[in-house]
Amino acid sequence: MNDVPVLETRGLGRRFGGLQAVSDVSFSVPKGEVLGVIGPNGAGKSTFINLVTGHIKPTSGKVLIDGKDLTGRKPWTVAHAGVARTFQIVKPFRGMSVRENVAVGVLYGPHHASTMGQAIRRADELLEEVGLVGVADRPPAELSVADARRLEFAKALASSPKLLLLDEVMAGLRPSEIEPSLELILRLKEQGLTILVVEHVMKAILAISDRVLVINQGKVLTSGEPRAVLSDPRVIEAYLGQRYASRRESKDA
Amino acid sequence: MSQLREGARAEAAVPAPAVQPWWRRLAPWGLLALGVVAMLGLQSQIYTGQERTVSAIFMFIALAQGWNLIGGFTGYASFGQVAFFGIGGYTTAVAMVHWQASFWLSLAVSGVVAAIFGGVIGLPLLRLKGHYFAIATLGVAEGMREVVTNLPRLTGGGAGITIPTVGTKATTTYLGNDGFYWLFLGLAALALAISTLVSRNKFGFALRAINQDEDAAGALGINTTRAKVLAFALSGFVCGLVGAAYAFQQAVIYPARLFDVDITVLMVVMVVIGGAGTVVGPLVGAVALQFLSEYLRQNFTDAHIFILGLIIIVGVVLLPQGFVNYVVEARRTGDWSLLSNVRRYRL
Repeated sequence: MNDVPVLETRGLGRRFGGLQAVSDVSFSVPKGEVLGVIGPNGAGKSTFINLVTGHIKPTSGKVLIDGKDLTGRKPWTVAHAGVARTFQIVKPFRGMSVRENVAVGVLYGPHHASTMGQAIRRADELLEEVGLVGVADRPPAELSVADARRLEFAKALASSPKLLLLDEVMAGLRPSEIEPSLELILRLKEQGLTILVVEHVMKAILAISDRVLVINQGKVLTSGEPRAVLSDPRVIEAYLGQRYASRRESKDA
Repeated sequence: MSQLREGARAEAAVPAPAVQPWWRRLAPWGLLALGVVAMLGLQSQIYTGQERTVSAIFMFIALAQGWNLIGGFTGYASFGQVAFFGIGGYTTAVAMVHWQASFWLSLAVSGVVAAIFGGVIGLPLLRLKGHYFAIATLGVAEGMREVVTNLPRLTGGGAGITIPTVGTKATTTYLGNDGFYWLFLGLAALALAISTLVSRNKFGFALRAINQDEDAAGALGINTTRAKVLAFALSGFVCGLVGAAYAFQQAVIYPARLFDVDITVLMVVMVVIGGAGTVVGPLVGAVALQFLSEYLRQNFTDAHIFILGLIIIVGVVLLPQGFVNYVVEARRTGDWSLLSNVRRYRL
């Protein structure tokens, strides 16, 4: 049972009209792994997450959660299968307090809280965990960028997921603000959570990932041990262009 | 200094009671019961003409609460809400005339029929958002009027249908002014009760989440399709009941009257002015608008609609989020300035 990967995609692809945003992405994430997903802007990382969670329907391929085929199922079905996510552009419920934002997730996750009181108490625990206790009664509009990202985090954890998809939870944060997020991710990993992290902050990727997957122009470019992948000339080329990569290679030689 | 800051932080960290004490939870029900008793008391103090005016206010309180379920809480502005009202009215008329059903049975059936109609059209239409949903629902209401007009054997067509209120053909004795006052008061109380329940339970949280960010709501496990369709059906149920009561009160009903787009517009304006997505807002909006409209009609016979329109425009410009939401926010922030309110919502 343990060798069934928590997340597996087979030939996953999505075409928007004439644009093949994601094509033929096949990989799997075993239980307990932290997989870093990197790639230049527009590579299809967010689309890929949307394909897994059902916010966008794939045009080809399959998505398996715990070996169960959930290809193209609705977001709430995927959520009930134990998948939680954050959004790259934060999506708070503006008319609710920070605490209520999290309580919604507790109320509707796969392990529903049976009463409002229970949901609120669980929400308070989660706010404690991500460090938002002080602003629990505020509306999300009054949060700083870092706190707004933490709220996304807390909402994703509200459903007690087994797979967590983090879409750039550290974008726009100062180094001092990144540190607590990294610690949180490592803590969750220790608890046995499987995590997929889309991130541009390389320092963060190196610090937390067991393995890194590189997506470029909608395709898997390479994957493997983080440091090896980051020094792969193809990856450098994808990020910085061919000229830079070849100059660097000749210097190394 | 650092101690001072620590102190301030500790103070801010004291969480407000997240679960409300029992008396806060029961307060709205107490107020509702008190309101109903007060309105029953009011009845003995007013004469017949005023009794009709107040009945109409009750009717619009119920309709506004019905619209608020889908347009306010859920954020899907239905511009075809009168379709439920009309379907409710015609269901009652047809049941009482053709099938000799009692009014009370017809009333219940009308609510159910309108709710089912809401579910059936909601399933495809609630895939649309914003203006598209508004236009589609508007089209449904106009379409329903044509359907009813073109079924003359069942509905009497454009010439209308008459519910017998006296004699042997009357299945239920006409309720009279007092009876309709009680009926519409009961419907308003029912609509307020439904709204109060929804505003505080799990379902209401789902609707507000959908309103504020539908993608995030889905990602958290909310079955957004089911919640939206249920909300639309529930709002149809309320408006269908009111339509049924209205049809019996009028006794003679025409498609143009029961599917009048003005009724939808009134519901929307009342909710928006009072405060969408709140329980008290539609109540305040309905009472204020009906009173104002009645007052202006009696005192400025020639220009009353013009003046009413002006007041609505000023109200919407100054308080775009509605009266109740403005008061709640102003109390929280301590900023009562209308100018900064306009800036916050317009710029």
